[in-house]
Amino acid sequence: MNRENIAFPVFILLFAVVNGYLLAAGDLQASWSGFGIILAAGITLALYSFLYRDNPLFKLAEHLYVGVVAAYELALVWYQSILVDVVNPLFRPPADVGVRWLVLVPACLGLFLMTRFFGRGVWLSRISFAFFVGLGAGLAIPRRVASFIIEQIEPTISPFSQASADFGWAVLNPAIILIGVVSVLIYFYFSVEHKGVVGGISRVGIYFLMVSFGASFGYTVMARISLLIGRVDFLLEDWLHLNPPLF
Amino acid sequence: MIERLLNIDRRIVYLAVFFAVCIPLLIGFELPIKATPNVRAVYDSIESLSGNPDAVVLISFDYGPSSQPELQPMALAILRHCFSRNIRVVGVTLITEAVGLAMQAFETAGEEYGRVNGTDYAFLGFKAGGPILILNMGQDLHGAFPEDIRGVATSEMPITRNLRSLKDFDYVIDLAAGFPGVDEWIAYGQERYRFPLGAGCTAVMAPDFFPFLQSRQLDGLIGGLAGAAEYEALVGKRGMAVSGMRPQSVAHMVIIGFILLGNVVYFLHRSAVRKGPAA
Repeated sequence: MNRENIAFPVFILLFAVVNGYLLAAGDLQASWSGFGIILAAGITLALYSFLYRDNPLFKLAEHLYVGVVAAYELALVWYQSILVDVVNPLFRPPADVGVRWLVLVPACLGLFLMTRFFGRGVWLSRISFAFFVGLGAGLAIPRRVASFIIEQIEPTISPFSQASADFGWAVLNPAIILIGVVSVLIYFYFSVEHKGVVGGISRVGIYFLMVSFGASFGYTVMARISLLIGRVDFLLEDWLHLNPPLF
Repeated sequence: MIERLLNIDRRIVYLAVFFAVCIPLLIGFELPIKATPNVRAVYDSIESLSGNPDAVVLISFDYGPSSQPELQPMALAILRHCFSRNIRVVGVTLITEAVGLAMQAFETAGEEYGRVNGTDYAFLGFKAGGPILILNMGQDLHGAFPEDIRGVATSEMPITRNLRSLKDFDYVIDLAAGFPGVDEWIAYGQERYRFPLGAGCTAVMAPDFFPFLQSRQLDGLIGGLAGAAEYEALVGKRGMAVSGMRPQSVAHMVIIGFILLGNVVYFLHRSAVRKGPAA
């Protein structure tokens, strides 16, 4: 048996010993709450064990997560959406309102989607999909064009008209933004060969994109470290009861 | 030596980052935390509502356990701020995973300030639909959420009785980690119903939302754990986010060190390779 095959049985043994000690010392209670903390600590360590190499503990934790999330979401959707918005209005309506028959329309559209699992009635699901596509496009296109294009054009241009009276440092940021927008748009304009002036402007666009990717990557590193901090804090405080900071 | 450094085992990097997180958590030291204008804007918007007994803030908890370390401290800091100023808060969520986290945040902050569920705050829970739910809330809040998470009718609760639409909220904050999130609240909520909107998001998403600050579609943005720490510092109740800044800063230094080391070793190796054939 090589070193890597020994590592995981040793890890499980060590985890059991640590939990045994924590339970014996009274740091963890022999209750559902204590069991939950042990389980969460075990799953956290099992998932991070992937950084060493892929292993059965990681696979177990991964599949457990998928199963738990599916069940949790199903229960929540049932109690908070289907029961409240479909079952109650049809079968347990308030006396002063009466049965809301209109609820049957979206309920049937939802049920039609389930016909994808059955060969003969599959055509019914196309009605639901057609409705969703039509509704989605009708809602999304005007709202997104208005919010993400039209509303963005105005602040890109307007500071210049406002700053024309006192042309100074105030116009620097809008100028950088405008140069960035124009040069990146030209970089993605492929109908003209990127040579000469167009090539020069598109190169400026590349620099803007590189700065943007760098900023995004920096923020991504920050986010991932934050998640690690959250888990390490849980392991040190809730599981091991070290109550940081120690010094 | 250069060859060994070029082929360094990635697990050594992971271990270094782990210790860079672990050790500063165990050793207490203070780091200066200064609020950036974007975070202060959210704080100021809530602060401007203090003294208004009818003020109600809506928080949309659109994040799950995978982004809890970044967004839960943010939620707690905002709730503490609102409760300390006697501002009432209504919570909703567009994603299922947020239900437990939002309830936990309301219970924790509510107990600290002695706030009553149904009067000072309410959590209406989850509803499917995402963007369509936002539109629905704008048209008929009681229709979109007939009951809160406990099953109490929203038309009867003191806090929600007079709230008919999103327009009735004095301030809306979306704490988001993906879809549906800030984009949807801007496109289907703020743009349509014209209410003041602030946002808190994971650090990964923050750069995507800076253009909305310039266009004033967002009046403030709290980005990642650093943003949460700034908000905690402004509220004056330091929690997990502020203490998380110690490992965050040290881990960043370690990562920058590895990036510099990698580049130095790469250029040394390249110059050695170039000199090699001539020698």
